Amino acid sequence: MHVEASGAALREEVISVWNDQLEIHVKIAGSGPPLLYLHAAGGLRWGPFLDRLSVGHTIYAPELPGTSPADPHAIHKVESFADLLLMYEELVHGLGIAGAAALGESLGGMMAADLAAHFPSLLSRLVLIAPAGLWRDDHPSRAIEMISGLPELAPSYLFFDHESELATAFFAPPEDPELIPSVIAAVVWAQGCASKFLWPIPEHGLAKRLHRVIAPTLIIFGREDRVIPSIYGQEFAERIAGSRLEILERCGHIPAVEQLEPTLELVTEFLR
Amino acid sequence: MGQAPYRYLPHDFAEHYSSVVTTPYHELVEPRKMHESVHSYVEELLYAARCGFDGVAVSEHSQSSYDVSPNPNLAAAIIAHTTAVEGLDTAINVLGRSLGKAREPLKVAEEYALLDTLSGGRLIAGMPVGLSYDANQNGGIPPIETRFRAREGRALLEKAWSATEPFAWNGKYSRYPFVNIWPRPVQQPRPPFWVPGGGTPSTLAEVLDREDVFTYLSWFGPTLTGRRIFDRFWGIADEKERDHNPYRLAFLQTVCVADTDTEAERLYGEHLQTHFRNGLGAIPPPAFALPGYIDIRGVEAIVRDPGDLGIAPKLRTITFRELADTRAAIVGSVSTVVDQITEFVKECRIGNLLVMLHVGSMPHELARHNISLFASDVLPRLRGIWEDEGWEHRWWPTGIGTRTSGDALAGV
Repeated sequence: MHVEASGAALREEVISVWNDQLEIHVKIAGSGPPLLYLHAAGGLRWGPFLDRLSVGHTIYAPELPGTSPADPHAIHKVESFADLLLMYEELVHGLGIAGAAALGESLGGMMAADLAAHFPSLLSRLVLIAPAGLWRDDHPSRAIEMISGLPELAPSYLFFDHESELATAFFAPPEDPELIPSVIAAVVWAQGCASKFLWPIPEHGLAKRLHRVIAPTLIIFGREDRVIPSIYGQEFAERIAGSRLEILERCGHIPAVEQLEPTLELVTEFLR
Repeated sequence: MGQAPYRYLPHDFAEHYSSVVTTPYHELVEPRKMHESVHSYVEELLYAARCGFDGVAVSEHSQSSYDVSPNPNLAAAIIAHTTAVEGLDTAINVLGRSLGKAREPLKVAEEYALLDTLSGGRLIAGMPVGLSYDANQNGGIPPIETRFRAREGRALLEKAWSATEPFAWNGKYSRYPFVNIWPRPVQQPRPPFWVPGGGTPSTLAEVLDREDVFTYLSWFGPTLTGRRIFDRFWGIADEKERDHNPYRLAFLQTVCVADTDTEAERLYGEHLQTHFRNGLGAIPPPAFALPGYIDIRGVEAIVRDPGDLGIAPKLRTITFRELADTRAAIVGSVSTVVDQITEFVKECRIGNLLVMLHVGSMPHELARHNISLFASDVLPRLRGIWEDEGWEHRWWPTGIGTRTSGDALAGV
């Protein structure tokens, strides 16, 4: 949905899945080996992180059904998270990138992890950045709490330093005031589409499936993540054999924005 | 119409707490006072029936300090039985047992059918989608599914009421191998459906397509929102070539009546102000429409033109004067109240008037005074408003005899 202008030349491919009942819009940029990028609950935002990753990788970034401006009601065709995973498996084949590495943030991390658990040979490497998908009663994920709360509180959930320039820029409204209603509606709707799979508890049995993941996996969390506490990093690491957990200091829920350089360094080195 | 608020909240409640979902119970409530609050709530509904109102309406809100009625059919059952025993032909308007959040929609069909049977066919079956915070935060339903669940639940309910053979239900949200409920509603073909809602164009279109009644609630200030919503309703009615029968509309209005305007403000002013601040005003605004609850186009329309929200954004600190000026509450002497209601009802072509006569912290005796004065001095002057137009009321319960024309019906 809200795709930001960037240095990379973006092109779009529309892949038909689910017996031609659903079209998934995929933004593509870069050169090099394919990398499947799965976005977070706010919708696809193409910023410096993806720009710089696209120097060494061809990034395939599908938009969650419902978050493409062309068809906001596509979400209603996805009945369950289980169906969504099957649709994305078809999508990976449709793009001709089976065997690619995958990187997912938050909701996207949950999708990437569960895709790899369902289809162990579909993805060659996994990068999970602050992934959703697990649940601990003693450290509840606050994704639904944030989505249900006042929009002005979102920065303090998402950023370690919510008054930083980075955080301010992240939430800056569009310059043209005419665009504000449609941009707000798109973000709210993207959260609504994502919530279909996060609500009321963002755990669909992933805990019991994660042992099936065989792809080498890098897990990244911000130490001060107030949406999905970094203790979940340990939960993922313990369940995925041979995985590696990196916790970034002075960092909240979006390492790719708040700690861009260390995140890029970890990711590019891991994918090399 | 009655809600069941806890009547003893601190005056500065709204400065410290939200009124739904997260409100701490033990630090705010004395069980004896909660008992008294709930007891008085039921007593006032019955008192209204005895005072001669045509109907009594009940609501549903879970995990809420401003209305502790988790299932409106509980109070409705008491009213159905008591009025039957006392020989009263009061209609029972269940504003809604929301099918948007019901996990067991067949239970809703059964409960409504039992109420209609118990009352001898006096049920008005409310069909709201359900409030967002209630369905989604309290009920755990993903917001984006709420409306679809409501639609599917209603389809199941209608089929369960009318089917002559047991059937299997293979829904998206509920599945049953055998549906064959007992009892079925007394009213045939079925009790009337009244649909409370915020008045978005899509809701109004659906109401008119289905030939239901639309119930609008005055919380957000009818002088700001009422004309917008009702003009929209009749505009869509024209597009759909529906007649302008005023009984297609119901309107819920908070009313506080006393001997003089000054006396009314003195008696009720503080209770009204805290009611709006501590109830609706203390609901966090996003909880009215969590992401996905309203379609993307609806969200964009509201951001572009927030007029339908009226005074909603400032309810947390609203003053009595603002409430009276926007007619979120009609407050005054008998003639003031009659004049203001009549003006609005005529202007908007409202055939069914629901009045809320107890709010928030109002003591039981004062509520009785308000109910009794309204019934004796206001109600008789409203009944004949639509008489000369001769419309048939096709949405009134048939178990108590048909009402073919004339009355501006008032429920409490």
